[in-house]
Amino acid sequence: MKTSKFWVFVFVGPSLFLLLIFSIVPIFASFLLSLTNFNVYALVDWSRARFIGLENFRDLFHDELFWKAFLNTFYCLSIALPVTTVLALLNAVLLNRKDTRMKNLFKVCFFLPFVTNTVAIAIVWSWIFNPRYGLMNWVLGLFGIRGPQWLSDPKWAMLAIIVFVVWRGLGYNTLLFLAGLQNIPQELYEAAELDGANAWQKFLYVTLPMLRPTTVFVTTMMIIGYLQLFEEPYMLTQGGPMNATLSIVLYLYRQGFKFFKLGYASSIAVVLFLLIISLTVLRLKLSRE
Amino acid sequence: MKKFFCQLLSHAILVLFSLSMVIPFAWMLSTSFKKPHEIFVFPPRWIPREPTLKNYLDLFRAVNFSRPFFNTLIVAVSITVLSVLLASTAGYAFSKFRFKGRDKIFLLVLATIMVPGQMTLIPVFLIVKQLGMLNSYAGLIVPGVASAFNIFFMRQYMLSIPNELIEAARIDGAREDYVFFKIVLPLSRPAIVTIAIFTFTGSWNSFLWPLVVAQDERYYTLPVAVSVLAGQYSENLGLQMAGSCVVILPILVFFILTQKYFMKGIAPLTGLKY
Amino acid sequence: MRKLMIFLYLFLFALVALSQQRVLQIWAMGEEAKKLNVMAEKFVQENPNVRVEIQAIPWSAAYDKLLTGIAGGQLPDLAQMGTTWMAPFGAIGAFEELTPYLAKSFIKKETFFDGSWQTVTMNGGVYGIPWYVDVRVMFYRTDILKEVGYERAPQTWDELYDVAKKLKARGEGYYALSLLFTGVFGNEFMPFVWQAGGKILDEKGNVRVTDPEFVEAITFYARFFWEGLAPTAGGNLFQDFAKGTVPIFFSGPWMVRMIDEQTPEVKGKWSVALMPKKVKRTSFVGGCNWVIFKNSKNKDLAWKFIEFMTRPENQIEWYRLVSNLPAVVEAWNFPELANDPMMKVFRAQLEDAMSPPNVPQWEEIATAISRRVEEVIFKRRTPQEAANMLKRDIEKIVRK
Repeated sequence: MKTSKFWVFVFVGPSLFLLLIFSIVPIFASFLLSLTNFNVYALVDWSRARFIGLENFRDLFHDELFWKAFLNTFYCLSIALPVTTVLALLNAVLLNRKDTRMKNLFKVCFFLPFVTNTVAIAIVWSWIFNPRYGLMNWVLGLFGIRGPQWLSDPKWAMLAIIVFVVWRGLGYNTLLFLAGLQNIPQELYEAAELDGANAWQKFLYVTLPMLRPTTVFVTTMMIIGYLQLFEEPYMLTQGGPMNATLSIVLYLYRQGFKFFKLGYASSIAVVLFLLIISLTVLRLKLSRE
Repeated sequence: MKKFFCQLLSHAILVLFSLSMVIPFAWMLSTSFKKPHEIFVFPPRWIPREPTLKNYLDLFRAVNFSRPFFNTLIVAVSITVLSVLLASTAGYAFSKFRFKGRDKIFLLVLATIMVPGQMTLIPVFLIVKQLGMLNSYAGLIVPGVASAFNIFFMRQYMLSIPNELIEAARIDGAREDYVFFKIVLPLSRPAIVTIAIFTFTGSWNSFLWPLVVAQDERYYTLPVAVSVLAGQYSENLGLQMAGSCVVILPILVFFILTQKYFMKGIAPLTGLKY
Repeated sequence: MRKLMIFLYLFLFALVALSQQRVLQIWAMGEEAKKLNVMAEKFVQENPNVRVEIQAIPWSAAYDKLLTGIAGGQLPDLAQMGTTWMAPFGAIGAFEELTPYLAKSFIKKETFFDGSWQTVTMNGGVYGIPWYVDVRVMFYRTDILKEVGYERAPQTWDELYDVAKKLKARGEGYYALSLLFTGVFGNEFMPFVWQAGGKILDEKGNVRVTDPEFVEAITFYARFFWEGLAPTAGGNLFQDFAKGTVPIFFSGPWMVRMIDEQTPEVKGKWSVALMPKKVKRTSFVGGCNWVIFKNSKNKDLAWKFIEFMTRPENQIEWYRLVSNLPAVVEAWNFPELANDPMMKVFRAQLEDAMSPPNVPQWEEIATAISRRVEEVIFKRRTPQEAANMLKRDIEKIVRK
């Protein structure tokens, strides 16, 4: 049965209208920019920007640093996505257990990374990763391990960033999973118990399928979020050392906001957009099967 | 016995992760009470040997908190209320309505979060300027109200609400607004609480947009007002940490007050028969 | 009724008074903005019909704020501008050209230090007026250098290298000096190029980074890392300095106060010195300038404020308020600067200090330089190879 146009309009209209003005039009504008050579000189006098077709994209294709940023970003995604998902789910399930004490205290703890001001927490993390005075290597030292130089070693810097990224996202995704878990009717578990299912089977055959909408949401958001990796390397390393932590958005930011090459930066945004949307559609398609 | 062991293990894991969440924060808190020379002492000292309130006093002397606090509160509350309302209506439509182009429009909504915010900052600024909303509460609030993230989350959550429930009501002749307010919303309480908390926190901490939109300091929000003090050479680490603690304290209180509804959301569900 | 009339008259009067009052809008950064209120009050006393509105902008997002402001034409009359930001924002035509104002003012080119004046001129025009300066000098631990046989700071490149070797020889975990090697470190690296007599661009706009002087500077810089004389693991500058594990670094005047604050235990055990000499002892000069925005409606008033801030007595007052070094040469005759041994070093260094070329693409060039120098430090390329690559990079940047 089709819903009447009136109700569709009432329910979706306001959101769409606002999104149109404050998101879709600006995005469209920035896509148009990608076809121009909008740079330093055009910022005050817009007439100086010229339409140059796909030249920015051609340049981008031959841009060594862009490819580096591309690989770095995927490296981050490929590790941070599964790690965060598994750990967040684990913690959510444990938090949701009936016999878990001090639930509220745990939840507050998990909430902390999410509320803490980015600049301040970045300073704390650069201290944690400090090879000589930092907490990380101090803790490793207690186990007799000599920690690497983290942020100043091209081999380890990205991993350090990933640790920070996972840390920032973990509590938040745990709370999302928790909300999803609470939506699963208890009756289903009771029914499974009657059928003689053990805890693992209940998790596999009740929790996971029922949690699917949440999982789809969480992983999709992670794909979108991690491909836009920016703040963490911006704060901790500015993309160094040896561009080992240069991410796509950091490169975009550099080109657009530091070098004022907004045309070129927009072409990076377009490529990133296509990348994200294809992965998102893929993810949503997968969830349907 | 096995059960006890399970419980123990599960608590051990939770404690471990909670600790890792708390430690950076604890360092922040402890630094905010330290004098400069004690900050970099190694191995780390969790409890300052010579605790000082100087950082906080400096902060309160330099920043007039009442106005920014008030601004932030207005902005965060307005955005949260409006955003939750819009997101749950839209989420309901995208999950339970049938209309032409539904999935395409939904993908369009989703697409808006796939372009990094840096890219749209200047166009949005120009639009807000054209609308005459620079330097106003409207300029601080309106662009943040429609959130694709929240719509997506509500849609996903509502997908798991059994269709039979809604269909039954519709067959009984209930209008969509009735179905939405009386059936869908109560069932979505955990989701609403979740996005309300996230939206509130996000707009409370939001920094770049309030700074850009405010043409004078009367419209500064708390994070902007506090970050003015963090120097160019981040020279005053203690002050910076104190500022950060002050900004997040109200949200922590807010979270502690609201998070119990996380649990309550489950009650109406178990009570329903279907 | 009469009360109401009186009230109305008063209201009208206030309205008229207010409308005659001119408002000067200023953007200033961070703590400076807070302290600038003191100066603004003084300015208002001299100019009673003026109200000064200072908007404090956090340093962390000042760049973005300026960029959106310029794109949207939403700018104040006057702003504080970092010297390295002059070129990018100046090149896009956001600032008022000030030559006509200079013609009828006590402010002249000679009022300021050469290096500082260099930061406000572009293509023959003047786009700002220096406010305060920041010049990099060598900070060193006098007691530790004495231990390895240096009664005074190393004066030349050879001495710096020699003392570095000796400091390193103290044992495992000991280094000589701290240098940046990641991020954008053009401002930290360029003094070495200038000291060697090299440059990035010559007068004709040719890229000169493959000159032997430039290559020599890369080699000299990178060698400190190759031989473990400079730590690649970011420690903590203050801790390392206080412990003596890294007893030399290069930094600006704000560090003087910060060392006293952060590590009071080394008081009296450290000093500052001029940059080491190869053919010159050139250092980097930065700081902040005043700029008037083109679309300001109060340009004369903004200029008046600049003149006010440029007066030597106000320059020294600003130094007292926030310890920013005066850009005005005359202000250095005040006893608190003239008699301070450390400030004397800064004063001397100011006579031999440069700023990076004022081209709008400087940020991009600095990023390219940092990238190539980093590759040398990590031994992915030889200095000559890196210089060749860098030449190609910069030519590509400048041509566009």
